[in-house]
Amino acid sequence: MGILSILVFLPFVLAVIVLLTPNSKAHLYKWICAIGTGLHLVLTAVMTYMYYQSYAVDRLAAKTSLHTKLYLVEQWSWFKAYDIEYFIGVDGMSVAMMILTSIIIFTGVLASWNLEHRTKEFLAFLLVLVTGVFGVFVSFDLFLFFVFYEVAVLPMYLLIGVWGTGKKEYSAMKLTLMLMAGSALLLAGILAIYTEGGSFNLLELGHHKFPMEMQNWVYPFLFLGFGVLGALFPFHTWSPDGHASAPTAVSMLHAGVLMKLGGYGILRVAMYLFPEGAIQWGMTFLVLATINVVYGSFAAVKQKDLKYFTAYSSVSHCGFIIFGLATLNFVAIKGAVIQMFSHGIMTGLFFSLIGMVYGRTKTRDIPSMGGLMKVMPWLGVSFYIGGLASLGLPSLSGFVAESHIFVGGFMGNPWTSKLTMQALTALATMSIVVTAVYVLRGLAQVFQGEITNPKFELLTDATVTEKLVTGILIFTLFFVGIFPSLMIDLIEGSIWPFVNRF
Amino acid sequence: MIMLPEIIVIVTALTVLVLDLFVKDINKVQIALAGLLSALVSIIVLPIGGELLGGQFILSPTAFWFKIIFLLSALITISISYDSLMVKTSKIFLQSSSEFLVIMLLIICGMMYLVSSTSLISLYVSLELATIPLFALAAWHKKESKSAEAALKYLFSGALASSLLLLAFSFLYGTTGTMNLSEMAVAMTFSPLQIWAFILITMGVGFKMTMVPFHFWAADVYEGAPTALASFLSVASKAAGVAVLVIFYFHVFPDLVKSLNGFLAIIATMTMTLGNLVALTQKNIKRFMAFSSISQAGYILMGFMGVESMGLVSVLFYLIVYIFSNLVIFGVIMAVSSSTGKEEISDYKGLSISNPMLAFAMMLALFSLSGIPPLSGFLGKFFLFSVAAKQGFHWLVVVAALNSTVSLYYYLGIIKEMYINKADLSESILVSAPVKWTLSLCTVVVVALGVLPQVYDLILEGF
Repeated sequence: MGILSILVFLPFVLAVIVLLTPNSKAHLYKWICAIGTGLHLVLTAVMTYMYYQSYAVDRLAAKTSLHTKLYLVEQWSWFKAYDIEYFIGVDGMSVAMMILTSIIIFTGVLASWNLEHRTKEFLAFLLVLVTGVFGVFVSFDLFLFFVFYEVAVLPMYLLIGVWGTGKKEYSAMKLTLMLMAGSALLLAGILAIYTEGGSFNLLELGHHKFPMEMQNWVYPFLFLGFGVLGALFPFHTWSPDGHASAPTAVSMLHAGVLMKLGGYGILRVAMYLFPEGAIQWGMTFLVLATINVVYGSFAAVKQKDLKYFTAYSSVSHCGFIIFGLATLNFVAIKGAVIQMFSHGIMTGLFFSLIGMVYGRTKTRDIPSMGGLMKVMPWLGVSFYIGGLASLGLPSLSGFVAESHIFVGGFMGNPWTSKLTMQALTALATMSIVVTAVYVLRGLAQVFQGEITNPKFELLTDATVTEKLVTGILIFTLFFVGIFPSLMIDLIEGSIWPFVNRF
Repeated sequence: MIMLPEIIVIVTALTVLVLDLFVKDINKVQIALAGLLSALVSIIVLPIGGELLGGQFILSPTAFWFKIIFLLSALITISISYDSLMVKTSKIFLQSSSEFLVIMLLIICGMMYLVSSTSLISLYVSLELATIPLFALAAWHKKESKSAEAALKYLFSGALASSLLLLAFSFLYGTTGTMNLSEMAVAMTFSPLQIWAFILITMGVGFKMTMVPFHFWAADVYEGAPTALASFLSVASKAAGVAVLVIFYFHVFPDLVKSLNGFLAIIATMTMTLGNLVALTQKNIKRFMAFSSISQAGYILMGFMGVESMGLVSVLFYLIVYIFSNLVIFGVIMAVSSSTGKEEISDYKGLSISNPMLAFAMMLALFSLSGIPPLSGFLGKFFLFSVAAKQGFHWLVVVAALNSTVSLYYYLGIIKEMYINKADLSESILVSAPVKWTLSLCTVVVVALGVLPQVYDLILEGF
């Protein structure tokens, strides 16, 4: 049992412990979760250190490698008849995603501190879901990958359905069914890969040359299957409803981490195994991603509900991830991975803040709020920092990610006409302006000016827990923004193999 | 010696019948369970192989596994029907329940003979032994018109199915000149009559297995018949149908089946799609389960498209998984209707508050049926899908996987009732101890089969 298995199953063990704790000890299991996920964060840091120890040796070789090299590998046989293995390991990209998830779940547990309704089951389901997420990021066996992927998606139904707000049942059902339909495509794709390649081992499959005809039909299957979770246009419709209805911690986790599984899967499975398919379909998905970015930002301008506002902004920002991947350019793909991390933290911050504001004002309607900065300066400033990260202000992480994606987009790739690429990139870049419009206008409406509703005078600023939550997330935003080289160094080595395969 | 399990079952049935005459208030469920358990043990302990009655009765690995499946489903069905059989105050208590039990045991016995038979005659006779008593069970509520309607519908469709099979058997005998199944396999010439026999057998078994378009009886029978019988029909009876298909598809005309794979793919598509779409609109939970089990039959059909080593093992594994998952659901249904007498889906409102364990077991089983990892249902479906994928039927895999998504919609509908909707009154339901233990055990199995590879490896070893 290596450190990775511990990291994957620690949340699950916590979930079981929480379920076994007697009902009367309501506060006890919140503490168990907080300490457990805090411990998880520490262990993730240890894992990162261990990864660096072994990665340092291969730093140079990574640049020309055609195959992903794994670290901290654990490999056991599982279903012998099908050569299914429990095969986990990490490369730089996985480590970055693990850090992201660990931060989000720790802050997510803290952000649900005030939840009163059936807290026990809530925390248990949340932790089971997180096990699935961690599992996806470390699995290199397609079967195992798929199992974890589903575990990460399904508990969402109950988390939104039971603890959500608004038209929660509709949203929960829509979200679950759309994501599951995506997984149906994935399952068909994975079985096609298995019947052709004769293995589920992703690294072994990397050595197999898939025939062109197959690449052409399996690649879009996988891309769309993962794309649904990555909110790819026109399959993004679950995301605004889902995020708006979900309780705070779930929105944080879902927009922050789960949507990243989509982009991660596209890169890890689809692009890794089907480079020629990726070239063939590059243009189609690039156009879809551009629509994503532009449409998401324009839709956000029109929103009146804080959560819908953030959700559409998420659609737009997740569009950047898919856009970066679809350019097939090294710099842009790197930017896409940084964007996964950066947007995860940023949106986690947003949703936690919305939860905190909503908990006080009992409304999420933007026009009916105003002047909140006077009564809750801490939350207001945090919101602004998140907003600035979202519109790509330098020294915050969003800038690092988006500038990489745009530079990569302008550089283009050898298989697409340069002019089209640059035109699309220009379009996507323009959405930054729109982002600035909705972020600044929305925040000004909520926080600036005079207090519109006399009831708001009595509201209080952030509690200690809330300060801790926002503090951690803001620190991470600045850290990545100011020291981008650390992040780039972490993931760069793992991106090369994908690009070298084109 | 190799007939020992069957003999044990018969003796148990007779013991219950005779004791019931003389002793008042015997614990007949205990006797039946003890008998079935010892039959199960004896079948596991006895070596596989060997023959009796001049080769009329054999114990092949296929027969071995099917017998385990039949015994398991009988064991679980009887344990979860404890309220119907023993608790007089229960709202689903059956009159003259000893006879109900005896008939059930005899049906199991017929099924066990069925998979061991090597000739058309013994196969047909044991199939009838496993079918005709079911009509009586369906009509158990003598004074209810629904029960009578169920029995009559079942009788007509069952009789039609039997006659189709009989016609197919006569074609086979006429063209090959032998009653023995293995000799018949060698003498196959793929003449038009034999192709007809293949189609007729598919139709005849189609009734038992509830393949579309031979499924129409299922919903009415499930709804009208006692729930104990509905749960038994959904697992054991379906498994018997699968057993007949296995015998003919894999042993008698494997080559013919391979060339007609497309035909199977179409039936499978129809079965799962129609079952799923109709299930969407159901309000009564037993009708709902009927359509859900129809769609499950569609998935099972996918396993027949491949070679025996892979296809049969996948089918057997799926059957085992299906038995446990389905019976957990029926167990909960019976526990609920035993104390409330209600069986609408909306009656499950707030079950997660009043009976969290019951709701949790039901949820896991529903997820397992819809194929959500890491539960065993996913693994079972995964193996079945991979059989179709190996044969190049990628479109069928897509259809089946999308169907699983549709099925998730209605399974989630029940979970929504249990977890999300608020209950009017949240009195907790008292579940009798045997039912409670069986449900817990089965739920553990539903989870364990999905994670532990040992069972699949064990089945694989036998072939």
